[in-house]
Amino acid sequence: MLENIALIKEVHEQLATDKAQAIARKFLLNIDEEEISLKRLSACSSIEVFYVQFIRALMTKEMSIIIIAPFSLIENLGNINDIIDKLKLINRKKNILILDRLHNETHYEGCPCNIVK
Amino acid sequence: MIFRFIHDVGDRTINSLSSLREALKFTSLCLIHMVNPRSYNPAMRMVLTKQIYFTAVTIIPIFLMMAFIFGSIIIGAVIALATEYSLQDSIGSIIVTFVINEFAPFFTALLISLRSGTAINTEIAVMNVNKELNTLREYKIDIIDYLFLPRIISGIISVTSLSILFALIMLSSGYIFTLFYMNMDFHTYKYLLISAIEVSDILVLLLKSIAFGFVTMLIPIYSGLKTANSYTAIPISVLNGMVKLFIAIFFIEVLSLVLQLL
Repeated sequence: MLENIALIKEVHEQLATDKAQAIARKFLLNIDEEEISLKRLSACSSIEVFYVQFIRALMTKEMSIIIIAPFSLIENLGNINDIIDKLKLINRKKNILILDRLHNETHYEGCPCNIVK
Repeated sequence: MIFRFIHDVGDRTINSLSSLREALKFTSLCLIHMVNPRSYNPAMRMVLTKQIYFTAVTIIPIFLMMAFIFGSIIIGAVIALATEYSLQDSIGSIIVTFVINEFAPFFTALLISLRSGTAINTEIAVMNVNKELNTLREYKIDIIDYLFLPRIISGIISVTSLSILFALIMLSSGYIFTLFYMNMDFHTYKYLLISAIEVSDILVLLLKSIAFGFVTMLIPIYSGLKTANSYTAIPISVLNGMVKLFIAIFFIEVLSLVLQLL
């Protein structure tokens, strides 16, 4: 999956493969998920795929990241804080917007983010 | 009845011309990207390296074996026929024309089409059905630069280099048969080939290999890209792509023969 994440910087910023992969590896290391780098898509769990997608979004120049229905993206995710804590470790610059249905409201209890209904 | 027939013919003609126009547009787009230095970003170069490895390097053991077996049998048959019809004087030019101009690039193109053409057609069709191509577009990654160009260039490099390898193996086999049938020593065989070979022969080999390599990758890619949005459409896409590819290979072969005759 490392190549998958590194691709964005290689294409958009013409960054050399080893440098782009080093950045991708650093992101994975920061959330304690470095083993994802060696996996193929079929071997990844839904949460690992989610982290890859998120880091890939971080690699772009866009200032906002929109996550749509995380509870349908990630299997057995009990509370949104489980992932938000990890996302905070790697994201300090971009705005994160989570869009979800009202019936998932209970999953957001105790969430430090602003909830707009 | 007649009106319906004319309508159908017209409809088919318009559809065919429109498909041809679209295919030519895609081909020219790929060619434009090929000459644009900005297309060669690090990701593209990485994919290109992998594609050359998978298309040209991993095939080498089976390719060498097939080149040796088929090449030896066919060159043996050609030499035996030439001896039977007392064409020993022209054996050098017969071998050069047959091996370098015709058989080596054609056989290599067929082999690469069967092995890599089908794989690439399926790969692009699956990516298309799974909407992976759309994801790449969403991330502003040019799919021609990242997916298609490395495959097309690897096709050109692979077919050209493997054609040269095939020709060399066939020429070596040719020596064994000339030794067996005509008691010809190596120096005489070498002299015969060197005196028969011309720059035009090398040019024909290179140009044909480049053309074969180009279509061997371009047609399966285009066919994969045109796959309808369902998994059941994938085998149909591969089938159509392969039929079009074989027609294109035979067309190039016939065209090169006609051009050489002129």
